[in-house]
Amino acid sequence: MDTLAPLVLLLPLAGFLVNALAGRVLPRRIVGLVGAGSVGLAFVASVAILVQVIGGHRLDQTYFTWWQTVDFNVPFNLYVDPVSTLMILVITGVGFLIHVYSIGYMAEDAGFARFFAYMNLFVFSMLLLVLSGNFVWLIIGWAGVGLSSYLLIGFWYQRPTAVLAARKAFVMNTIGDVGMVFAAFLVFLNLRVLDYNSVFSRIHQLPKGGTIITAICLLLLVGAVAKSAQLPLHTWLPDAMEGPTPVSALIHAATMVTAGVYLVARMHQLYDWAPAAATTVAIVGGVTAFFAATIGTSQVDIKRILAYSTMSQIGYMFLAVGIGAYTAGMFHFMTHAFFKALLFLAAGNVIHAFHDDQDIRHMGNLRAGLPITFWTFLIGTLSISGFPLFAGFFSKDEIIRAALSAAGSEFWLGVLALITAGLTAYYMFRLFFIAFGWEWLSRDERHLHEALPIQTIPVVILAAGAVVAGYIPVANFLQPVFGHAVEVGTGAFIGLAALSVLVALTGFLLAYLLHARRPELALQWRTRIAPLHALVEHKYYVDELYDLVFVRPGFALARFLNTIVEPRVIDGLVNGVASFFVVEAREFRLLQTGRVRSYGFVMLLGALGTVFLVVLFLGYLPVRLGG
Amino acid sequence: MVVGFAIVAAWELVTAAGVIGFRRPIYNALSLVANMLGLAVLFLMLNAQFLFAAQVIVYAGAVMVLFVFIIALLNPVSDLSLGRRGGEWVWGAVFGVIFAVLLAALLYNRGLTGKPGTFTPEAIGAVGNVQTIGIALYTRFLFPVEVTSVLLLVAAVGAVYLAMRRIR
Amino acid sequence: MPVPAYTFLMLSGVLFTMGAIGFLVRRNPLVVFMCIELMLNAVNLAFAAESRYLNSLDGVVFAFLVITVAAAEVVVGIAIIVQVYRAGRQMDVDELDLMKE
Repeated sequence: MDTLAPLVLLLPLAGFLVNALAGRVLPRRIVGLVGAGSVGLAFVASVAILVQVIGGHRLDQTYFTWWQTVDFNVPFNLYVDPVSTLMILVITGVGFLIHVYSIGYMAEDAGFARFFAYMNLFVFSMLLLVLSGNFVWLIIGWAGVGLSSYLLIGFWYQRPTAVLAARKAFVMNTIGDVGMVFAAFLVFLNLRVLDYNSVFSRIHQLPKGGTIITAICLLLLVGAVAKSAQLPLHTWLPDAMEGPTPVSALIHAATMVTAGVYLVARMHQLYDWAPAAATTVAIVGGVTAFFAATIGTSQVDIKRILAYSTMSQIGYMFLAVGIGAYTAGMFHFMTHAFFKALLFLAAGNVIHAFHDDQDIRHMGNLRAGLPITFWTFLIGTLSISGFPLFAGFFSKDEIIRAALSAAGSEFWLGVLALITAGLTAYYMFRLFFIAFGWEWLSRDERHLHEALPIQTIPVVILAAGAVVAGYIPVANFLQPVFGHAVEVGTGAFIGLAALSVLVALTGFLLAYLLHARRPELALQWRTRIAPLHALVEHKYYVDELYDLVFVRPGFALARFLNTIVEPRVIDGLVNGVASFFVVEAREFRLLQTGRVRSYGFVMLLGALGTVFLVVLFLGYLPVRLGG
Repeated sequence: MVVGFAIVAAWELVTAAGVIGFRRPIYNALSLVANMLGLAVLFLMLNAQFLFAAQVIVYAGAVMVLFVFIIALLNPVSDLSLGRRGGEWVWGAVFGVIFAVLLAALLYNRGLTGKPGTFTPEAIGAVGNVQTIGIALYTRFLFPVEVTSVLLLVAAVGAVYLAMRRIR
Repeated sequence: MPVPAYTFLMLSGVLFTMGAIGFLVRRNPLVVFMCIELMLNAVNLAFAAESRYLNSLDGVVFAFLVITVAAAEVVVGIAIIVQVYRAGRQMDVDELDLMKE
């Protein structure tokens, strides 16, 4: 395994290098082959690792020492356990399918090679993040995915909206990076080590629930919140939809945004030791889930709805890991990767069919024209809404069950999660009914055509996953890391399951009523609760708030610095130093008279001085030094 | 002995004043020759016979001759500096007085503090002054001697080159 | 030796001082040169005195080398002065300031 792990990392890196350096001159086929193939091979390697991990093997291998000074030793080590194995399987597996899809989706784009280079860079960084065995490389991978996200959101850089969105994402990500780095500082300061094994074994030296460990966990949470677009650092995610749809699928649905969840799961020993921080994680997750779901009910851009849905589902995952149900959180991560990627790719097909129009009000009645997309999207919607037998049902249920079976605030978060599940079903089916339509028309007048197989086959595969993934025994797989989940009685189990099905059904019916059967009712309702609707439609005006509080003052400060500080202070200082030398040189020039006599005079003066000093120090003068 | 020293010392001082004071360069040069000869006598008193000979032959006999030749050749006008009475001489006098006082303070009634060696006048006299110095030059001080010879070579070449150059 | 060492040294010092004064005051380059020679001679005297009173040969040898070097220096210096003369410039050290700056 110690060669497989770096192989998984190096394959996408190689793909990146090839496409970055030679992509312009290689034929598109090769570029696509390299781009998708490297990830595919990495997937194969991941499966091989999986086999070994199931057999009980682990890996914590140092490959070389990256940085070594007196106190500070940072190796490059990779850490393979069930959690990271699950992550790399999802990243490379789903990633591979999305790469294949992209070969078709981006076929007409001029930046084809650049796209695949960036995508491979992303996969490499994400794998690095996940496989890293110490805080430093974690942060390096963290920054790498942030960079790739920026590059890919702003991929169509001639679009001003895309550029702004990319910048926004990067700035918010950086806030999270700062939190991460400070957390690493605190870890090193208090524990003197940075690799996972050492850190985890030394955690108990710190007081449980004390300030230090809580601070570390909260700072890590800042990083997680930024990366996973949870409240309050969430505003970048909807804007990130400016990027190409495969980017949204891979980065902003399946993998990068889940890095925060991975972080908490990986650091679970830390969070177990700082209950206050863990509760904060859960609250952030629960509130974000609800908050995002409410916004999702009012949006009209297909990708934005999916973005808010992602935000909401990640909220679920945060809730899970916050209350200690790490296995449930990771399980939901896996199922979510399947159905969210599926939903995005299918949406991509729809967008392509409508020539890049993303407004769902312009769509409808897609069954005849885009049959495969229609059915796969339906499967995804059913899965995310938590319909029985689909993957989402199992994973979401586990989270809700874990929350409701706990006491205190966690119970109420569970109630919130249940309500959110209903909202999820509602807005997803609202999307489905408005965009895809429910009428069983057999003809379609708009002459839409289904996407190419290279785009539909991955979608179908993902749809299969969205159904089947629920049956994978993830809990058993992760048990060595997280221990057993809390058991509930059979009665409670069935009762809760029934309750969540009921809630999902309610949402579905409401959506059916308002958007399929009687759209005029929807309009009536909207006018009745107009202020509320406006609030939700404008995303609770958070963006506007941030603009007022942070962005404008920031720009004002930058302007001030640029026009006043820069020319006067900094340039003044530099020029001042230079002018000092000029003046000094000018004065000293006068010494160089060229006249022998003045030179000689100075020399003799020196001799005089020397004699004087000798006399002084040998005590020959009546004057004594120092009295 | 003391009387002899006093006479020679007086001679030295007078001729030195002459070196720095005369208006016409030829008188300066001749004063310097006289000064050097007085110095040679002092060397004799200090039991440095070899140095006495070297001083007379090389310094007074060759270097100063060169000086006199040049003065005769160039026939320079009398020095202008003495026209400006006051000015520079005052400064020079001030400097000189300070310097001399300091040196006097340093040297008055002090003995030499070096470590005494083994070459007493009797010991030297046993072997012979020139022989002793010769031995010393070519054994202990061989390197400086060689370097000095190179220096002389360089000076000769330099002088020839300088003399050859056409002045624009 | 009835004459104490320091008298030689003081004489040397006085001669040196006089040479220094002359060096600073005079403007004819030849005379300046001669003052330099005077200073060198004064130093030689000090060396010889040291050699005699400390019973060592170092001083004498050093003085000898000083004489040699002085000879070389005089040769080159005279050559320069001659060239200056031939170029028609003033025989005045204050005017010969081409090496300024």
